[in-house]
Amino acid sequence: MNGWTGQFLRVNLTAKTFKKEPFSDEFALKWIGGRGFAAKILFDELAPGIDPLGPDNKFIVALGPIAGIPAPNTGKAVVAGKSPSTGGYGDGNLGTRVAEQLRKAGYDALIVEGRAAEPTMLFIDDDKVEFLSAAEVWGQGTYVTNDWIYAKYGKSVGVLNIGQAGENLVRYAVVRSMEGRAGGRTGMGAVMGSKLLKAIVVKGTKPIPQADPAGMKKVGYDDLREVNRIDKKSGWSIQSTNGVLAWCNEVAALPVRNFRKTHHPDAWKVDGERLNNARIATYGCPNCTMRCGITIHDDEGRESELDYENVGLLGPNLEIFDLPQLGSLNYLCDDYGIDTMSGGCVLSFYADAIDHGAVAGDYGFNDAAGSKKLLGQIARREGEIGNILAEGSMRAARRFGHGSIDYAMQVKGLEVAAYNCKFIPGMALAFGVSPIGAHHKESWVITFELKQSVRESYGPEKAQKVVDLQRIRGGLFEYMVACRFPWIENGWSLENYPKYFKLVSGLDRTLDDFWVISDRIYAMLKLFWLREYPQTDRKLDYPPAVWFDPTNADTEGPIAGKVLEYDKYDGLLQHYYDIRGYDKRGIPTKATLERLGVAEEGRAAEKYGKLT
Amino acid sequence: MTITVKLIGPFVQLFGFSEKQLDVPAGTTSDDLIGLVSIDRSRPKIVTRNGRAVVPDEALADGDRVVISPIYSGG
Repeated sequence: MNGWTGQFLRVNLTAKTFKKEPFSDEFALKWIGGRGFAAKILFDELAPGIDPLGPDNKFIVALGPIAGIPAPNTGKAVVAGKSPSTGGYGDGNLGTRVAEQLRKAGYDALIVEGRAAEPTMLFIDDDKVEFLSAAEVWGQGTYVTNDWIYAKYGKSVGVLNIGQAGENLVRYAVVRSMEGRAGGRTGMGAVMGSKLLKAIVVKGTKPIPQADPAGMKKVGYDDLREVNRIDKKSGWSIQSTNGVLAWCNEVAALPVRNFRKTHHPDAWKVDGERLNNARIATYGCPNCTMRCGITIHDDEGRESELDYENVGLLGPNLEIFDLPQLGSLNYLCDDYGIDTMSGGCVLSFYADAIDHGAVAGDYGFNDAAGSKKLLGQIARREGEIGNILAEGSMRAARRFGHGSIDYAMQVKGLEVAAYNCKFIPGMALAFGVSPIGAHHKESWVITFELKQSVRESYGPEKAQKVVDLQRIRGGLFEYMVACRFPWIENGWSLENYPKYFKLVSGLDRTLDDFWVISDRIYAMLKLFWLREYPQTDRKLDYPPAVWFDPTNADTEGPIAGKVLEYDKYDGLLQHYYDIRGYDKRGIPTKATLERLGVAEEGRAAEKYGKLT
Repeated sequence: MTITVKLIGPFVQLFGFSEKQLDVPAGTTSDDLIGLVSIDRSRPKIVTRNGRAVVPDEALADGDRVVISPIYSGG
């Protein structure tokens, strides 16, 4: 069927075997690709309770029907597996030439099983698969590894690789690509590391099956130019994502001092204006029309690529208000293959735990040198503290005790993105109900809360907005697979995506059709959680306790004296469950599963946990 | 009365300043302020007054800090 290559590549590292595996048209139409493919494959193939860092886990690279085809921002891939940080389904997306190359090699997804006997680089060259030694770069960072691969194969190949953090099974290790892109903050780098899989290199030369290749080519290139024109007019790329930092500071939504504070008088020193002034280069993904990566010189003269999340969490959150200094922390995270967001939250949690007497240590806020040292210890799992912090803030808090779990800034084991929800109920809900832990990629509602609703509201309008955005951000863009930025930041119409879908597949689908698929995938992810945690309840969907703590309220500014309230948050959560058709534990009901076409998967999950 | 106006993100480059103080007559609304600082009215935006969102006809007060930002969507 046009739109898909129609086959997966399944590789077993233990046996050093591979096979092409066709999938049916029905499978393609039901799950589309990307996150949809990954969720279904992992649900069907992983036995509940397996060790995410053991050989039974699978590492998946999944693409969608428009991935890799020239059109606005389609150079992205989804990486997925059982998450070492949450124990549930985990994924992430990143910009990479793998999107185009793997599809041209003839595959819509790569499924990696088993564990290699020695450090391995997987080389996929159209129909050929080679298991090559990566011993030469085992123990090296992602920059050296990437250069080593480029020296062998040139820069046009698709590359995924890991640094020392992935090798040493840091639970928030990421997968890296193209010297600047990272994805899979749910620990997908550690899943690769657990398989001794240092890198994946892909070359493909075949045409991607499309219903109307000439039409897609014309529309794709026209739209690439048009989105670029819109971006130039809007000016979004001038400050890129870090433009939002100054706004978060103004409306009391910035993470400062492990989220204890919501704004800071020195925040301007690391805002979008300063980042733009310090810019030495700009980076983007393949097929990008509005490049978001702004590169600066860090305090050791290295090139460090920054965006808002890593500035927010490695800067103000650690009370570091110096761009070259936080740029250095960002560079180290990127080189080690540590997720910058979780890395920032883990360091801030450690400083806060020391402040509150939960643990003794020689570290604190505004300590760039100490932060650099700790990132190295984490990546190498060096010493007791390196080992503890490599486990993430939730597990570290269990170790430290003394109530420190209340200010471990995480949900389900995944650290919170750079939005302080001390008094932003809808965004707190978005973090709470994200199916992979506290990631902002599923839903982001802060502007809506302030402009279309009121900040104090815990009403159903906010729950509905979270659902609407999940269908788009966590759904459509994650299974098509494409970057959401043209739509969210420059207003590129969502109606373009059914248009692209028709050009590649020949099939008519409306956005409403796609929302059903989004809901189906979200239901599947909940079933995955139910199998892993049969005693699950709605408390899994609560944000960190410190956001409810009146003693943590701001003493001045726009939200002085205010924090989230438990009973009202629980009511908001119930609105969300009601809209989605979930029961009081946050699990889809049998009727909902039936409506979404996943009753069979429900019956499979019911062997492990109850359905209502 | 004196109002501090702060622009966010690309508005800084597009409209020519980052932050400035303006002397305006009593009764000036947030919408009046948009006109005074020559912000393109057709651009989608969110305006906050002392950290809280305002409606266009809301009257400002002496010492207010007004922030004018494009609609960000959280990356």
